[in-house]
Amino acid sequence: MTRIWRETGFVENDPWVIETEEVKAGEGEKRLLSLDELIVKADESNEVGFGVLIKPADDVRKLEPYLDRLELVAVAFPAFNDGRAFSHASLLRERLGYTNELRAVGDVLIDQVPLMLRCGIDSFAVSNETAIKRLTERRLPEIPHYYQPTARDAEPGKSYSWRRQAKPAA
Amino acid sequence: MGDKVLTANRLTDGIAVWLDATGTWVTSLQDALVARHAEAVTALEAIGKKSYADNLVVDVAVVDVQETDGVLWPLRLRERIRAQGPTMEYAPGYKPADPAFIAV
Amino acid sequence: MYRYDEFDHAFVAERVAQFRDQVQRRLSGELAEDAFKPLRLMNGVYLQLHAYMLRIAIPYGTLNSKQMRMLAHVARTYDRGYGHFTTRQNLQFNWPKLSDMPDVLAELATVEMHAIQTSGNCIRNVTADHFAGAAADEVADPRPYAEILRQWSSVHPEFSFLPRKFKIAVTGAERDRAAIQVHDIGLHLKKNDKGEIGFAVYVGGGQGRTPMIAKLIKDFLPEEDLLSYTTAVMRVYNLHGRRDNKYKARIKILVHETGAEELARQVEVEFAALKDTELKLPEADVAAITAYFAPPALPQRAEGWENLARWKKADPDFARWVHQNVQPHKNPDYGMVTISLKPIGGIPGDASDSQMDAVADIAEEYAFDEIRVSHEQNLILPHVALADLESVYRGLVAIGLAEANAGLITDIIACPGLDYCALANARSIPVAQEISRRFGNPERQAEIGELKIKISGCINACGHHHVGHIGLLGVEKKGAELYQITLGGSGDEHTSIGEIIGRGFEPEKVTDAIEKIVDTYLGLRNDPSEIFLDAYRRVGPQPFKDALYGDSKAEAA
Repeated sequence: MTRIWRETGFVENDPWVIETEEVKAGEGEKRLLSLDELIVKADESNEVGFGVLIKPADDVRKLEPYLDRLELVAVAFPAFNDGRAFSHASLLRERLGYTNELRAVGDVLIDQVPLMLRCGIDSFAVSNETAIKRLTERRLPEIPHYYQPTARDAEPGKSYSWRRQAKPAA
Repeated sequence: MGDKVLTANRLTDGIAVWLDATGTWVTSLQDALVARHAEAVTALEAIGKKSYADNLVVDVAVVDVQETDGVLWPLRLRERIRAQGPTMEYAPGYKPADPAFIAV
Repeated sequence: MYRYDEFDHAFVAERVAQFRDQVQRRLSGELAEDAFKPLRLMNGVYLQLHAYMLRIAIPYGTLNSKQMRMLAHVARTYDRGYGHFTTRQNLQFNWPKLSDMPDVLAELATVEMHAIQTSGNCIRNVTADHFAGAAADEVADPRPYAEILRQWSSVHPEFSFLPRKFKIAVTGAERDRAAIQVHDIGLHLKKNDKGEIGFAVYVGGGQGRTPMIAKLIKDFLPEEDLLSYTTAVMRVYNLHGRRDNKYKARIKILVHETGAEELARQVEVEFAALKDTELKLPEADVAAITAYFAPPALPQRAEGWENLARWKKADPDFARWVHQNVQPHKNPDYGMVTISLKPIGGIPGDASDSQMDAVADIAEEYAFDEIRVSHEQNLILPHVALADLESVYRGLVAIGLAEANAGLITDIIACPGLDYCALANARSIPVAQEISRRFGNPERQAEIGELKIKISGCINACGHHHVGHIGLLGVEKKGAELYQITLGGSGDEHTSIGEIIGRGFEPEKVTDAIEKIVDTYLGLRNDPSEIFLDAYRRVGPQPFKDALYGDSKAEAA
């Protein structure tokens, strides 16, 4: 069972669906578009509130003209060790200035969640049992001292310009 | 089909182990259970899968051996080295592998 | 050398706690092996033939006596009493238990050591010239930059799941003692016409299945742009490096398939966007890090000259050791000592716990408490007064580490090979031992001169055989070991990949083959000052092929 987690807690009634052969978006649900579909649909209408699924080989910079019309960008981790989405997320936040919801989908495991957060991802589609359990307990295997600036805002670290520290919990 | 034994590495300490007749993972190849028929090999593989799932061992594999005068001899050099350890003096108090056993 | 501040201590402690939690979850079964594997790799834990292997990071090969003693303690307490120094300046333990590792890492943390990112598809130990800060020919010390890169690359969230491993090396002299051209990124620290510090940047070097020499993609990268440019390279690699085939996943393949010029252009585009961001290095930060690497205050020790001459006269073995294992230091009263970890017939790169303790003592008393690990699997004492060389030598004799063979034929580099490694096809250590014994005679070694033999037990080339003057690659053929010989490789500033000479040799024939190669060299060299590598480059492979294979055509194995 897939649940959506944000730092504020688990989200109920998330409308977004990644359609497959078996699964289609139903009443009150919205379909995540592929990058190509998004570009076509956005170019031929004035619609807003799109959701798009970025696959590892996609060029995330193609989203630039459509950012303010996107409600959700999902970045895919088809295997947890396919790290391209970390760069997609970083570029979306730092280069493109995207500010809406950025979601990790796919093989989302607890040990990668802290890294994803630092790359600017702020929501997570989680099915792994341990991940759900640890997120429920708010026990992330985090190291709150950072040796590099990343997409996510952080406190300045001590002594050197590249260091950062986790912001105190809100 | 040749004779086979089941081997793996223990999860806690990584030490190379073999499955014996009582279903215990032991550190000596010579104590391993030998499978001589296809059904026995299938049974070994199933035990291996279960031990992996039970988090006892990792890197489970079925290995070819030859039995001569009661001594089990893996056909692959790699497995012979796994059975006996490094083939030279490497630390005081630890015996190197027997060159006769290792030899091709 | 660099000393941890509060931030570093906190980070390492948090990392140990994180790994302790991961190990506990693994042992309880809550975390499955395939999810655990990349996590344990990023903490330096491999599974090998006989046991786990733990690779401890020795940043740019620099450590002090306290750290060396801790390594000895770990060897003694958690392992079988020894460790192995590697071709990336790290240390490997071959028998630790997974269940002990969090405790081992906690102990290492007390002396500012760790095993972070010594494996895994992430940025590995940044290596540097083992003579940094001491060599007479150095333009600038590369280690401050290696330290900055080390910090910046530690648990970098964007670059923890790269297509494959990533290795960076830095050198600060014209002579390249860090083999930068066979690294994913090679940095040559230099000064421009205005005397400003910067780097020539090489990308896409590597050994393994497809050895490639790195391409120069930037002539001069200003110091302040080090992190932004490196980020640009990493991001291009992370996004475009191949992930479909493990053997084509290094950046060298991306450079090769994209073309160096096009790749450099892609990097420049990304770099342009990063150049003036918070990644710019402030001068003050560089200065602060550099201050850690200030050379020790070296007192004048002019008495060394006279004493040295006298001692050498009195003891020819000592004289030979000074000649071979002591290199010129910036300061004329001092020398850089190579402690050979290649005793005749020994295991290259191994040291026992008592040897480590003794080296720590010697370093503390005579070498300003500084030790280096070279990528050639030896230890270095970079600052030793000539006046103390005799004492150092006696100390090394007492522990069996006084072999006067630095750079000579018995100073062999060998990977652990099939005696230890799950990836290996053949053994390396016994081959090295036999060659060492055959050529052990000091006079003969001196006659042969500089000759770097490097042995790998499989195509992954951890023994760096591609850049050996003589390289040996162990393969498996019909269930038996076979060794392919390459000639003419070099990892210095004139990097070359060794050429396969012909069909391979059975283990019992290898040493004779080496002997034939050496005899051929001795027969055709211009004079003793023409080293093997130079002679090979002058005459090419044919004389050696003829000697090894006779007149029959030699097909590559």
